[in-house]
Amino acid sequence: MQRFIPPILLCAVAIVQIALAHTVALTPWKGGGFGMFSTLDHSGYRGVDVIVEGPDRSEQLTIPESLEVAAARAAACPTNGLLRRLAEGVVARERRYDRAVTRVRLTMWRAEFDPVTLHVSERTLRTFVYDVH
Amino acid sequence: MSTTFTSTPWFGDARRQPALAFDDCSLGITLRLTAITLLLRPMGPWFVLPIVLAAAALVLIFPRVLSTPAVWLGISVAIALRIADDWPLADNHIYLFAYWALAIALSLRTSDVSSALAFTSRWLIGLAFVFAVCWKAFLSPDFIDGRFVRVTLLTDPRFGEAAMLIGGLTPQQLDADREALTPLPEGAELINPPAVIEPPRLRVIATLSTWAILCLEACVAILMLLPPDTSISALRHAALLTFCGVTYAFAPVAGFGWLLLVMGIAQIGARQIWLRRVYVGAFLVVLFYSEVPWANLLLHVLR
Repeated sequence: MQRFIPPILLCAVAIVQIALAHTVALTPWKGGGFGMFSTLDHSGYRGVDVIVEGPDRSEQLTIPESLEVAAARAAACPTNGLLRRLAEGVVARERRYDRAVTRVRLTMWRAEFDPVTLHVSERTLRTFVYDVH
Repeated sequence: MSTTFTSTPWFGDARRQPALAFDDCSLGITLRLTAITLLLRPMGPWFVLPIVLAAAALVLIFPRVLSTPAVWLGISVAIALRIADDWPLADNHIYLFAYWALAIALSLRTSDVSSALAFTSRWLIGLAFVFAVCWKAFLSPDFIDGRFVRVTLLTDPRFGEAAMLIGGLTPQQLDADREALTPLPEGAELINPPAVIEPPRLRVIATLSTWAILCLEACVAILMLLPPDTSISALRHAALLTFCGVTYAFAPVAGFGWLLLVMGIAQIGARQIWLRRVYVGAFLVVLFYSEVPWANLLLHVLR
């Protein structure tokens, strides 16, 4: 009976991965569902735009090296938790540089390719607003 | 004559089982190559990496450790921690590695380690390929209509030479295509986007590749999940070896290829010495693929 445990675990994780891909936009390439090399919906064609707002500012940030992993996680699976962690990282970094922040706006996107012409366009997966208290 | 089998304790030595074919080369090679794979592709944060590396080294040095279920259970738990720590960024073969290490631990506690491991190996490979086929055939519309392979052929640097040599693109056309396929910043879209140049030969290659990948993966899935049979066994090994021989020449995940081959060795009978050698050779071929820029070297030779 024990020999069934690893295959059952594999099935359980893969089924959860499919559910997450369809509910919270987890990229099919990740999460243990074996969807790699099946779609262009992967890290190379997903991204996050960060806009920081303050009393006298509203500017777009390039993801700094220190936040690349957090941004990659949020892009791969844009859940509230991972987006909040990225936003908190942005706020902490801004404060380290003595820049005031009142709001962080994150926009998650993925590229889509036309089935005939392959023309590329961006589709917003979700936006997330983090208000700094 | 009857033999009484007892379960090996977690910290026991599975080689002490009566009638246990632990000296069976396939089993020994399977476990050692699993450890070598762990050493070839170190994984995880500071609280996982040393545990995995130390366990893999000890497994290779001491036969007693090699056959201790608790060691493999520890490796499985360590890999699971690595997946949780890095969620959701871990690649799929890391998950498969955790299942495989668990399968080894559980099999080492049984009276017939080889057959238990062969059984679990077939199911793990079969199910992994079932889900891979499901994603490609049903869940990802951009695979079955050929978009994935078309865009990958044009944009992935590993396929650039093939796109030019076989597909008939010039370097200038390839550069122009790559630029056209790069998303514009901040969601901008051109009113008149440049046309992507795809010679007919390239479209044919993309279509053939799409269906060949799908058919080969479906074959592996079906053959692994069919009940064990001598005639099917040969086809099963042929399909898995073909998949690894073709896929990992291009796919940058040698760890996945090594793991599949190790799991394939676990299904080899004690007397199939030649097949075992083929698998070990394939393991080395995947190593060659991952460490030698063979496509560039080949192109230089051809030029």
